[in-house]
Amino acid sequence: MTAANQATPGAPPVRDHSASRRWVGQSIRRVEDPKFLLGRGGYIADRITPGTLHAAVLRSPFAHARIGRIETAAALAAPGVHAVITGREAAELCDPMPDFGPDPAKHTWRCLAAEKVRYVGEGVAVVVADSRYLAEDALELIEVEYEPLPPVTDPERALAAGSPLVHEALESNCAYERSFDFGDVERDFAEADVVIRDRLRWHRSGGQPLETVGAIAEYDQGTGSFTIDTNTLSFTSYLFMAAGTLKVPVNKLDIRPVPAGGSFGSKLFANKPAVIAGMCARKTGRRVAYLEDRSDNIANCDHHGSDRVYDVELAMMRDGTMRGLKIDVVDDYGAYIQFGVGHHGNALAQVVGPYTIGSVRYRVRAALTNKNQQGAYRGFGSEVNNWMLEQMVDKAARELGLDPVAVRRMNFIRDFPHFIPTGNVYDSGDYERVLDHALELARYDHWRDEQRRLREQGRHIGIGVITAQERSVFSATEFWFWFDEPGAPVTSTPESVSLKVDATGGITAVLYSCAFWGNSPETMVAQLVAEEFDCSPYDVSIVYHGSRDGLPATGPGGSRTTVMLAGAVEGASAKIKEKARRAAAHLLEIGPDDLEWSDGGFRVRGDPERKKTLGEIAIMLHLFKHSFPEDMESGLDASKVFDHPYTTMPSADRKDLGVFYPFVGHACHVPVVEVDIETGAVTFLNYAAVHDCGTLVNPRSLAGHIVGGTAQGIGTALYEEFVYDDDGQLLSSSFMDYLIPTAMEVPELTIGHVETPSPYTPHGIKGGGEGGRMMAPAAINAAVNDALAPLGVRLTELPMTPERIMAALRAAGHAG
Amino acid sequence: MAPDTRTISLTVNGQPHVAQVEPRRLLVDFLREDLGLPGTHIGCEHGVCGTCTVLLNGASIRSCITLAVQADGASIDTVEGLAQGGEMHPLQDEFSAKQGLQCGFCTPGMLMRAREILAENPDPSPGQVREAIASNLCRCTGYQFITEAVISAAARMRASKEGVAP
Amino acid sequence: MKPPPFAYAAPDTVEEAVGLLAEHADAEPRVLAGGQSLIPLMNFRLAKPGYLVDLRNVAGLSGIRREGDVLVIGAMTKMAEVERSPEVAVAAPLVTEAVGLVAHAPVRNSGTVGGSLAHADPAAELPAVALALDADLVAAGPGGTRVIPAAEFFTGPYSTALAADEILTEIRLPVWPGGHAFTEFSRVHANFAVVAVAALVELDGDGDGDRIRRAALALAGVAPTPVRATAAERALAGAPADVATIRAAAAAAATSLSPAGDLHASPETRRGLARTYLRRGIELAVARARNER
Repeated sequence: MTAANQATPGAPPVRDHSASRRWVGQSIRRVEDPKFLLGRGGYIADRITPGTLHAAVLRSPFAHARIGRIETAAALAAPGVHAVITGREAAELCDPMPDFGPDPAKHTWRCLAAEKVRYVGEGVAVVVADSRYLAEDALELIEVEYEPLPPVTDPERALAAGSPLVHEALESNCAYERSFDFGDVERDFAEADVVIRDRLRWHRSGGQPLETVGAIAEYDQGTGSFTIDTNTLSFTSYLFMAAGTLKVPVNKLDIRPVPAGGSFGSKLFANKPAVIAGMCARKTGRRVAYLEDRSDNIANCDHHGSDRVYDVELAMMRDGTMRGLKIDVVDDYGAYIQFGVGHHGNALAQVVGPYTIGSVRYRVRAALTNKNQQGAYRGFGSEVNNWMLEQMVDKAARELGLDPVAVRRMNFIRDFPHFIPTGNVYDSGDYERVLDHALELARYDHWRDEQRRLREQGRHIGIGVITAQERSVFSATEFWFWFDEPGAPVTSTPESVSLKVDATGGITAVLYSCAFWGNSPETMVAQLVAEEFDCSPYDVSIVYHGSRDGLPATGPGGSRTTVMLAGAVEGASAKIKEKARRAAAHLLEIGPDDLEWSDGGFRVRGDPERKKTLGEIAIMLHLFKHSFPEDMESGLDASKVFDHPYTTMPSADRKDLGVFYPFVGHACHVPVVEVDIETGAVTFLNYAAVHDCGTLVNPRSLAGHIVGGTAQGIGTALYEEFVYDDDGQLLSSSFMDYLIPTAMEVPELTIGHVETPSPYTPHGIKGGGEGGRMMAPAAINAAVNDALAPLGVRLTELPMTPERIMAALRAAGHAG
Repeated sequence: MAPDTRTISLTVNGQPHVAQVEPRRLLVDFLREDLGLPGTHIGCEHGVCGTCTVLLNGASIRSCITLAVQADGASIDTVEGLAQGGEMHPLQDEFSAKQGLQCGFCTPGMLMRAREILAENPDPSPGQVREAIASNLCRCTGYQFITEAVISAAARMRASKEGVAP
Repeated sequence: MKPPPFAYAAPDTVEEAVGLLAEHADAEPRVLAGGQSLIPLMNFRLAKPGYLVDLRNVAGLSGIRREGDVLVIGAMTKMAEVERSPEVAVAAPLVTEAVGLVAHAPVRNSGTVGGSLAHADPAAELPAVALALDADLVAAGPGGTRVIPAAEFFTGPYSTALAADEILTEIRLPVWPGGHAFTEFSRVHANFAVVAVAALVELDGDGDGDRIRRAALALAGVAPTPVRATAAERALAGAPADVATIRAAAAAAATSLSPAGDLHASPETRRGLARTYLRRGIELAVARARNER
């Protein structure tokens, strides 16, 4: 490694990535696979032991109502029922849920609604019974008096005067409002030749993994401790807040990770089922499972995605040079706001995309409505910014009569590291290379020819080309730089790994709540450990550790896992090797500096026959204390708490938010679509995608995430929406109406990889798990608009359902 | 008052079983809890996602919308019966080789459906595989590597039928 | 979501089944065929029958046979069997095509023809087919059997002319060997139809099929029950089988519809889809009729 980078204060040293790699970069079979293939995945629902009780939650049929009397006697007397807890009783048993929102005391969020329900599906009571069947039978016997209140379901109406209030204590449905200026916005707009304007609407969709959230809790009356197995984790370092909710000291709560059947953000800090299960376990004195079913989850998962109305202005020169952006966004957060406006932090991390835009005004208003709250969905709000910006770029190109590819290319950032107006940094990149590779893979020129030919036949073919960023590894500052005087200006988002070398030289890696969600933490760690120690990845044992006595960790989210695990593995490996080197030196009777690591052990420089393998060193360290100096402890293990390697603090005036998402990848997606203007159906004729997320640990695994993320992006672009009617009823309340793409909606993708390593991370790795979904909605919207441009139709609302497409065609005079 | 139960006899992965079940008990719960075969998963409980797919007399069905009593007299195959004698079925092995799984939750249902697909058509095209697996949702993979895995497994299964080592 | 409790019987004969429905009339009895529509409703607790009569063991309700100009399909015949049947493909290829569009193959492995018809989902394929073919639906009740013409069978959304103590035993479909098309628009592959069209045409015997002798057109998803586009059928009878005539007939039929809207499609979009799929369906049926000459 070279010396610290003077030009970028706060940056870690620039690394040398020239060493050849043996395991990093290999598309090995995943270490995790066998148990899942054999049907022994050990998901939460598979862990029901005999005697475990089951909880079921009674949900509000009203979007907005005061809760009056609740009659539970009949339910309590029903067969197999052990307990019934209403929201009011839950408010005595538990404190409010952990909440990173702007004013938790006023938008208080509880595991069950106590005085008022604020969305259809909000829980008002829980029944605990011998089986889920019996619990659901008992739910039907509970009588709740509701006093319906007028619901508010449109975010702009929610912000208007006189709207029904979701939280009276807030005295407003605006949970947060602020405008930020970065760079010289006024000057850039004054000097611009043209200002491109638009209004854009992105409706909420969500992760909806096939497995819902579940928790199994036990309460030990003797020690006053909870043990909760659950398939949610992430933000582990903040899990202590859940202990507060359950009203126990932090060191009396152990949350243990369980493999999860997908998340895509929706299992991030999803503690409500754990709290409900815990509360029921303590009340009944029994082990209690609360496993959401699909109806529970769709309406009540607390992880709906972004739901935004944008008014945007892009200041341009006539030659296509982009100057400045004015963004005014209203985000419909639903009835609670657990992550504050962190989703806009994600947007600000890459708000100017890959372009040399010099200034940004960002005004954000968080509206509360009678809907389930937002949480996390792959992209966490940055994918929406990508879509908005690429829509504006395409609109600008059209209005200025410029080629959309040329406009992008001419504005590309080319020098790295590059600081964008908000203060965040793009560590490395080569956007031209990605673009050229994508156009080539997509056979762009061929498809433009095809488009001309097929248009003559009356078919509506469109090609989308979008170039956008995929940031990775978030910093804690994006939780609080929204406030001049934040209550908790936290700065830690660590990840930890412990490595233990046993007496035979076998390595076990302990992950701290870095849950398995379909990402491949075991494979990542196995490959990284194998790289360090020259063993086979399949010989590395991986263990997941619970929260109570675990090292600090943050878990999956913001595409941070691989980078942070790499740092933790690197750190722990270095400590192991340092001790092993000393031990080997002692055993070989030579100075430690005369040894070099090679091929699974230490050997004497210049005399390679004199060597000790890791196993030979390990057995001595484990069992032969007296063979070593006094100060050497037995054993060979080490832990590394790896803190975010590159974050800086925001300035006091918030004109510079500091570095908060520095490892920024980039991608180009080129879909070709056909729009049937008689039905509004969109089909794919081709789809090429090139991603650059730095060095890849397992290229096949990353490619799988790109395809999967793109499939979700297809859902967001065309099919998926949580639709609420004016009464706040959730119309898409099952998979019959919340439409997840099947294998027929997702085309075969042609995927290319470009690797511009990060200068700051182990091996140059960047995060890439979210990228597919961060690109696809923008790309597909671009393609559809390209298809319909000759008809004067442009779609500015997602999802582009057949209804919206046909309505737009009718409005433009095409009866269809 | 104890709930009304029925006696059912069925074979699961080649093992005969006789059991008492409530008529309303879903087949998926019977398999997972009563028979201790948790490999079949529940995704939606309204028959849309296909996660709960098992084979009943060789035909794929959705066990979340099938009552256990409807399986009386039937032969059921679940994912737990795929591997034989400690060896993974070619489908399982190819899913791993091609990374046709990420979270693994849809995988058992997908494997059973793939088994049916290949029994009906041992040499499908990728397009035919895609259309056939459209019955089973996957939220992780985008279906591409699943399709590749099924095609590879099909080739291996055809080769081993013809007496050639896969 | 788990189903509510119910009493259950799996009788061996039609008489027993019908008897149980009558005997337990107060318990809101329901018939269980394949369960592919009923059990999801029960899982949602939208249907709470106190008594379930399972027809799985009743003899004589399954099977496909030809009786002269009529194709007879037993009510408990699995849709997968109908889909694969060469007999059906010859006698009523409209049925083959429509059945292949019912949900996904695994659902068709369990689902029955009778179950789909008795469930009477306004967007379902088989009711539209039964209507287009002027099928006769045979029901058995305590008083014996009766024949209900398709035109009288579907009385409203999820509502049929079957009495609470009657079961469907078989469907009798007049043969219509060629000139068929079943097309539908769904938002996602194999999802329920937003709009579906069953089109049958018979071309003139003379010449090269320039004229349509008769047409039968039924639509699903545009009304509380499947509907026949009778005005369009009259317009097509004897008319030239050309693009302009077909387009005009489809447009006129669509304009006369008053479909409801939902989160998937507004009334106006449904009318547009009806027009488009009528046109495409008739064109395809004509093309197939020509191919068979």
